[in-house]
Amino acid sequence: MKRLLFALLLAAIVFYTVFPFYWAIVSSLKSGSALFIVEAWPADPTLANYAAVFRGQPFGRSILNSLLVASGVVGVSLALAVTASYALGRVAFRGRSLLLLSILSVSMFPQVAVLSGLFELVRALGLYNSLWGLGLTYMIFTLPFTVWVLTTFMRELPRELEEAAIVDGATPWVIVTRIFLPLLGPALAATGLLAFITAWNEFLFALTFTLTDDRRTVPVAIALMSGASAFELPWGQVMAASVVVTVPLIALVLVFQRRIVSGLTAGAVKG
Amino acid sequence: MAAVELRGVRKAFGRTAVIHGIDLEIRDNEFMVFVGPSGCGKSTLLRLIAGLEDADGGDILIGGAEVNDVPPAGRGIAMVFQSYALYPHMSVYENMAFGLTLARTARHTVEDRVRAAARTLRIEDLLHRKPRELSGGQRQRVAIGRAIVREPRVFLFDEPLSNLDAALRVAMRIEIAELRRQIGATMVYVTHDQVEAMTLADRIAVLNAGRLEQVGTPMDLYHHPANTFVAGFLGSPRMNLLAATVTDVNGAAVTAALPGGGRVRIPVIADGVSAGDGVTLGVRPQHTVPAGDADAVLPGTVFVVERLGAETFCHVRLADGQAVVTQAAGDVRVAAGDPLAVGIAADTAHLFTGDGRALPRHRRHPLAEPPAPVTPAAAAPPPSR
Repeated sequence: MKRLLFALLLAAIVFYTVFPFYWAIVSSLKSGSALFIVEAWPADPTLANYAAVFRGQPFGRSILNSLLVASGVVGVSLALAVTASYALGRVAFRGRSLLLLSILSVSMFPQVAVLSGLFELVRALGLYNSLWGLGLTYMIFTLPFTVWVLTTFMRELPRELEEAAIVDGATPWVIVTRIFLPLLGPALAATGLLAFITAWNEFLFALTFTLTDDRRTVPVAIALMSGASAFELPWGQVMAASVVVTVPLIALVLVFQRRIVSGLTAGAVKG
Repeated sequence: MAAVELRGVRKAFGRTAVIHGIDLEIRDNEFMVFVGPSGCGKSTLLRLIAGLEDADGGDILIGGAEVNDVPPAGRGIAMVFQSYALYPHMSVYENMAFGLTLARTARHTVEDRVRAAARTLRIEDLLHRKPRELSGGQRQRVAIGRAIVREPRVFLFDEPLSNLDAALRVAMRIEIAELRRQIGATMVYVTHDQVEAMTLADRIAVLNAGRLEQVGTPMDLYHHPANTFVAGFLGSPRMNLLAATVTDVNGAAVTAALPGGGRVRIPVIADGVSAGDGVTLGVRPQHTVPAGDADAVLPGTVFVVERLGAETFCHVRLADGQAVVTQAAGDVRVAAGDPLAVGIAADTAHLFTGDGRALPRHRRHPLAEPPAPVTPAAAAPPPSR
């Protein structure tokens, strides 16, 4: 009985989370008025929407932009966060918890609240309508949480490991790069992935700080798709585009999920 | 190979002083064991020598040179940690080679040294494995190997065996003793296990609450404890400490009145105590004798009998409520409730002043000669007494 309930609950959760994606796939395979027929699988599946997405606008360019911005943001965020978390997690200094709290509080502002300020900043730096501007502004929300998560992981690494390295003559830089970094692998994969997804999906900044089609990222490109007339929303194409940009994310998660769950520190200390 | 010298070393964490000015000389090639209850500061003292903590006062000298401001890697030390602290993502070989690689040692030298250390420790077959694929004892060997390849002047061990199970601990203890004979370097070893301390040490430093209670050879501490703390800390079961009163003092002995009315003349130097003073009588359970052979007896009633097979420990309650443990033969006929007179031999009994200081004995135990230097080269003729 208990197992049955559990299975039912699981089924409900899976249905709830998977259904929208399933519906997007189904809709993307339909064309014309078939969109408005409720059916489990299109009677006449077609890839026309997928072709139209890439024909109607520089969608390939948008994907490339998103890829560049998201991976750039992940790379820089992780590099900064690893070094910052070593300082915040391992070095005792005055004002450490204040600093940690202020980093956290930065991420509490809603995007809209910082939008106009950031706009001025981006303009002043001459980064308007450039991918650099997007990368810079995305770090506002990726950095706080990468720093926080990595600091937590860093604190849990055994102190004696660091001390053994110190006795072996390792400098802080060597400790971070050659001892801690390999051990932080799972944490890096998890936080990096989350940062990537956030940057990949970001909409408001991308809409505000870019102007031309060739600088748009995927979410903006999808939102700005238009049909034959101003009054028609090309649902089929929107769905097709959504599927195209979601698949890489799912692939990433599947690739990294083993890294995320594996406990690499096993064997470092007793146990 | 180098001597280590501590001069008035002090250390506090925040406002809590953990090391209160320790002076200690660890000789070249000596195996020194720091022992004491948890929180006594023994690990902190080791970490001060390693340079993992900075002293708040005093000087630390290694090989005659002050190293107060020298980072750990520059002190010529190697440390074996309680948790082994092996780098989990590196193979055994990489673990052992890491320090040498950082010091830009030539590749073939690294290889030679790692192989040599692996041979000594019999872990040659494990060099390509990761730490997580090793057993506790193997990890411990790798940790020791990592220390050996650095060819340090001083080895520091921080409770290296306390994570192992009892049987393995005994085996590793013997291996460390063997290893010690092979590599011959100054070693400082922290433990809370008195068996490790007694069996491994050339000299033991007993610490309590951040102070040195006594430093000496194991037999010196066992037969001539300087105070009630050392007397109670070393030896198992712990020494019986009984309240007694001095009745007579002369040049040869101090006579004390025992609980239960007996008197015993103990051949110690009075050293300031006089008739009427309250003192503490110390008798190890192993040193009690049958009532017939005794210089004095403590009459009481057995309340617990612990039989270990080879020996039996009888817990005896005296008339005034004090408890005494006595060791008897394994097959002794005794049961809880029996009356038993615990016999004391004057030449193995200890006498401590009211504040816990031992009264020095006239004759030293033959095994408790002052520590002889370890290296044959530096050996001095044994002092005659």
